[in-house]
Amino acid sequence: MKALPLEARQVGKTFGLSPVLRAVSLKVDQGECAVIVGRNGSGKSTLVRILAGLSSVSAGEALLFGQPARKLQPYDRRRVGLITHQSFLYSRLTARENLEFYAELYGLDHRASRVTELLERIGLASAADERVSSFSRGMEQRLTLARATIAAPDVLLMDEPFTALDADGVEAAMGLIGGALDRGCAIVITAHEHFQFAQLTFSSYALVRGRLSPAPADSKAEAAVQHSAAAG
Amino acid sequence: MDRRVTSNQKAWAFTAILRKDLRLELRTGESTITLVFLSLLVLTVLTFALDAPAGDPAIAAGALWVAMIFAGTIGATRALIAEWQNGCVRALLLSPADRAAIYCSKLVASFVFMALAEIAAMVLLVLFFNLDFGIRLVRIAPVLAMGALGFAALATLLATIQVQIRVGDLLLPLLAIPVFVPALIAGVKATNAALAGLPFSGFTQWLKILGACDILFLAGGYLLFEQVISGD
Repeated sequence: MKALPLEARQVGKTFGLSPVLRAVSLKVDQGECAVIVGRNGSGKSTLVRILAGLSSVSAGEALLFGQPARKLQPYDRRRVGLITHQSFLYSRLTARENLEFYAELYGLDHRASRVTELLERIGLASAADERVSSFSRGMEQRLTLARATIAAPDVLLMDEPFTALDADGVEAAMGLIGGALDRGCAIVITAHEHFQFAQLTFSSYALVRGRLSPAPADSKAEAAVQHSAAAG
Repeated sequence: MDRRVTSNQKAWAFTAILRKDLRLELRTGESTITLVFLSLLVLTVLTFALDAPAGDPAIAAGALWVAMIFAGTIGATRALIAEWQNGCVRALLLSPADRAAIYCSKLVASFVFMALAEIAAMVLLVLFFNLDFGIRLVRIAPVLAMGALGFAALATLLATIQVQIRVGDLLLPLLAIPVFVPALIAGVKATNAALAGLPFSGFTQWLKILGACDILFLAGGYLLFEQVISGD
């Protein structure tokens, strides 16, 4: 049986004596999207880092393509895209240079044309040759979205991807996410609200006190948290 | 699809990272300017403090290697610091880039910075110690190149640890310099012999020691880098 692109099995994470995640289980198949809402400090970012293999688990296992996320082979690392609160951008390089660097790092063909097309899709064509250090937070976030999707990953992990984006930026981001789903990408998104993703078909979850549980798709974080807390 | 890391993939990562580092350095000149002025400072202080006779090879050799070690310590750190800004090191670890390719690219970047500082130091050395441009300086070139390569290999590994821990600023000089002492002695002796006008056969034994140290540091760095680099 073919392995799921992304799976968390009873994942637990403790920092010192403080449990941040408790028995988190999640399965996301090709072409599926999971949106996880939670309060600040609920463990969303920790979960995303664990799923990406950048942080170890205290219990359970996080799997990408059936392999432990921390021990992913280079071929499979190419298939993962990640957005966190850090941009992973070099501030003294231009937008174009950043994307060309990642395109070369991932061994992509036709780098120049791919970068140009991507910059146009995210609305940064006019700022392509400006240094990232001169960008606004919203522009930086758009470029981060482009960086994460440039290699057409099979798994996309996005921690609050709409941070600092204006309406046009959100629309561009939704275009990238929709395109990724259409080609079978498995996507996990963390957010404070579900409604931003109303255009997508997704499974909704709430992360409450480190525990992940299903939540109504039309709920904001607070309501989802309360719903999950009431459901015990 | 072939899942093994091919030579091409390693080459992509190596050239992408090295090209990016050199582009950043060309744009800002921070490392080069800092290292050149550091070399100037060291040579100036030693020249006037020691009040060396004109053309004294022993003093000149010692001054040159002091400047080079200081430059190497700073150069290796600067080659890595950019990766810890904006979390770029996590993007490198998440990419298909082979860890050895990351190490080699950082090593070459450090070596290039050290080489530029050494060239500046050589010019200053000629001026301060009233040396003549000639075959003696040509004989120094392989000695300095081997010394820079070995120190860059060692310093890149230790600088990777340094940038990740809180007391890191002390780590590199505390560990690198004592470990490098055998190569340092060999390098100073070989440089002294070359400046004194001896042919290569006159200081072959020191070159052999320097070469053996280079192999040790390169092998150690290549094998251990994956264990010490972390995105956490």
